[in-house]
Amino acid sequence: MSEYKNNQIKMNLFDEIEADEELIKENNYTSKINIPQYEIKGLQPNLNELVNMQKYYELKMKIQQSKVSEEEKKFLYMAATRHLQFNYSLIAEYYAHADKEMQELMEQSALVIIDFEDAIRNGYTQLLDRFKEIEEKDILYNGDEDEK
Amino acid sequence: MRNNFAVFILTHGRPDRVLTLDTLKKCNYTGKWYLVIDNEDNKANEYYEKYGKDKVLMFDKLAVSKTFDTCDTFDDRRTIVYARNVCFELAKQLKLDYFLELDDDYTEFRFRVEKEGVLRTIYCRHIDEVFEAMLEFLDIPNISTVALAQTGDFIGGTESNVFKQKLCRKAMNSFFCKTNKPFKFIGRINEDVNTYVNLGTKGKLLFTVAECSLDQLATQSNGGGMTDIYLDSGTYVKSIYSVITNPSCVKIGLMGQSNKRIHHKILWNFCLPKIINEKYKKN
Repeated sequence: MSEYKNNQIKMNLFDEIEADEELIKENNYTSKINIPQYEIKGLQPNLNELVNMQKYYELKMKIQQSKVSEEEKKFLYMAATRHLQFNYSLIAEYYAHADKEMQELMEQSALVIIDFEDAIRNGYTQLLDRFKEIEEKDILYNGDEDEK
Repeated sequence: MRNNFAVFILTHGRPDRVLTLDTLKKCNYTGKWYLVIDNEDNKANEYYEKYGKDKVLMFDKLAVSKTFDTCDTFDDRRTIVYARNVCFELAKQLKLDYFLELDDDYTEFRFRVEKEGVLRTIYCRHIDEVFEAMLEFLDIPNISTVALAQTGDFIGGTESNVFKQKLCRKAMNSFFCKTNKPFKFIGRINEDVNTYVNLGTKGKLLFTVAECSLDQLATQSNGGGMTDIYLDSGTYVKSIYSVITNPSCVKIGLMGQSNKRIHHKILWNFCLPKIINEKYKKN
């Protein structure tokens, strides 16, 4: 096995960790209890701030200027929508200020996820409580921590 | 362990090294288990001889390849995604309501706890109860799958990203699934990242629970399995599959300090719709 390939494989271990760094920076999740409910900050973004369309427009212009068939253009326009970047923190902020009908439509499009009756929050808390109970048993079973 | 649940250990080409089975026994697992192999495994007979025909489930890899999007046009099927996808069908055939997909090279399950500022380990020997707790969490509507953390998630100890986040919106390696909440893994390789990103953008919830983790052999130290495909293609090809599936929120970039290499970078704020409290919903 070449040294290059060996190094690549070793690096795999770190890849996800580094990829995650941005998650902590970008998200404004409730830090104290570590439940992934986004905390609304009270911003009131405009609709045109919710989606970054720059790449979409670039592609659209190139498609328009191309000599491919109209049928192919239609397909490419649809494909270009895959590059629309939805800013989900701003979308959550917008949702908080939207009227009832808009909120319902946003929910149906999965633009936000409502944690009804705190099911996720409570479910996770219950999971942690269960883990604590099991950990106590395992300490009794195994001896002290870090010892098999 | 409940009767409507089984562990599926996905394995290929290494009947003498199904480490996960020994690890489950060490952790006092009492439930059902099966080895899932494919019909392109030239060591199939050895699996049958060693574990018994009732414990080894073989699937048709070519047939399964036609049931999901591999995101490419290649014929190389030396990857795990086929086995990952067939498990929902196997669970139906076995009349299971829940199952857990595991790789075959796990050596330990352990809790990770903070004590006096240091990340400590409690080795798990009541794994049935851990699995039961995870299944109860999986019962929450909208949650498609939940996963245990991996050892590498904790590099950095209590300062590691996964330990700080606790409940992460991604799922890799181990998948607790509910038969009536099916989903498809996509992409020939990097199927776990492709899937949690792709489903995540559509509002599905896939979680990793940081408090409990699994240890896995370093990729290259256990021959067979996925080792060959990673050696052949490297991390660039692996990463590009996630860009293909979701170009708006996955990019290719350079990572690392001294050893720069190409890798995917997920733009999380463009990837995952936020989970918000019901109090913001107008009645």
